[in-house]
Amino acid sequence: MPMCSIRKGTRRNERGLLLLVLACGVLLLGNIAPAQIYLPKPPPEPSEYGKVILDNHSTAGPGPVVFDHWLHRSKFTCRLCHVDVGFAMEAKATGISASTNRGGFHCGACHDGKKVFDGRTVFAACSDAANDKRCDRCHSLGKKDVRQYEYKKFTAKFPKGIYGVNWEAAERSRVIKPVDFVEGLSVKKAPMRSREDFALKAGYSWVHPIGFSHEKHSIWNGCELCHPEIFPSAPKSTIHFSMFWNIEGRYCGACHGKVAFPLNNCQGCHPSGPRWAHGAIPIG
Amino acid sequence: MFKAKIKTKIITVLLLMGFVGLCDMRASGGPQSSAAQADHPAQETWRKEFDDVCSKTQDDMTFSQEELANLIRRCDALLPQIEKLDETRKKVYLGRLRMCRGLYAYVLDSKRNEKK
Repeated sequence: MPMCSIRKGTRRNERGLLLLVLACGVLLLGNIAPAQIYLPKPPPEPSEYGKVILDNHSTAGPGPVVFDHWLHRSKFTCRLCHVDVGFAMEAKATGISASTNRGGFHCGACHDGKKVFDGRTVFAACSDAANDKRCDRCHSLGKKDVRQYEYKKFTAKFPKGIYGVNWEAAERSRVIKPVDFVEGLSVKKAPMRSREDFALKAGYSWVHPIGFSHEKHSIWNGCELCHPEIFPSAPKSTIHFSMFWNIEGRYCGACHGKVAFPLNNCQGCHPSGPRWAHGAIPIG
Repeated sequence: MFKAKIKTKIITVLLLMGFVGLCDMRASGGPQSSAAQADHPAQETWRKEFDDVCSKTQDDMTFSQEELANLIRRCDALLPQIEKLDETRKKVYLGRLRMCRGLYAYVLDSKRNEKK
């Protein structure tokens, strides 16, 4: 066999091998990408972030309710509403209705027309009284000029972070003082014991470690909101709490990415990491 | 004349009784049932026990395994009583009991695993 045809055959084999390696690489990346290099979607405007539409009776009645987390979280702890009042963490799981509100549950736990907050009597939710029908204040989807609070005006004096209000700084500077007790439903407890903050080493060498504020989380959420339902076990590593699951709404993603600062704010959890993932840094 | 006096007294007594009744109703928050309203004393025992058991969640890490097991038992004993409540109250308190019991069980598990 002449030498030149042997060389041609070897080159063909090399090219084939290279193509095979490239194809394998593409396939491997295709599999890894969604699982490991999975970036969160850019969040909406801070004023829209954490907005919940309650639409239990869309065909009849006063229309869907628009609930802004930014307004209520400035006044109450997460624990108060999601533990004591019984608002579920998933959509359509609470079973709110006008009658439960009138009975002193759900929105009616505070909105009873009697409780006084910040020197003002809180309006009664779903009131039957003819002179107190203000359905549009909550049932406001698609209605203009019916909401009493506007995000920019309401949060004007709040310290801002990389994305919207920096709630931690707002509490530290006493701009907000979230209440953790509602008469009739809450249990009187001793103040929360200080929880030790800790660092979580990531499961991958290229992921920056997490600085977890256990104290802040336990004061705002209590222990029972996170354990065991959101975090059934607490190994001191993120190997089980990967970004893939967070973005899917599990673990940290149960709140971060929905209400608490978005997952795009990398430094919120990984202090030595990049500032922001995906797109321009929104400040509002 | 005497009859008229008796009539006036009866009317006054009736008015007083009505007034006292009205005050009592206002004090309890009106006729509408409310979560904040006190329950019937017999029903209130479960609430006292619930408040006592679930008021300790912030101290969870300080309890011994025996104390945690006892708290879990008390949560379990509350379950049938809460299941008898009306629909909304049942849903709210069952959810809270689930979280409260779940936390104690979680801490107990962690403590058992620590010892291993």
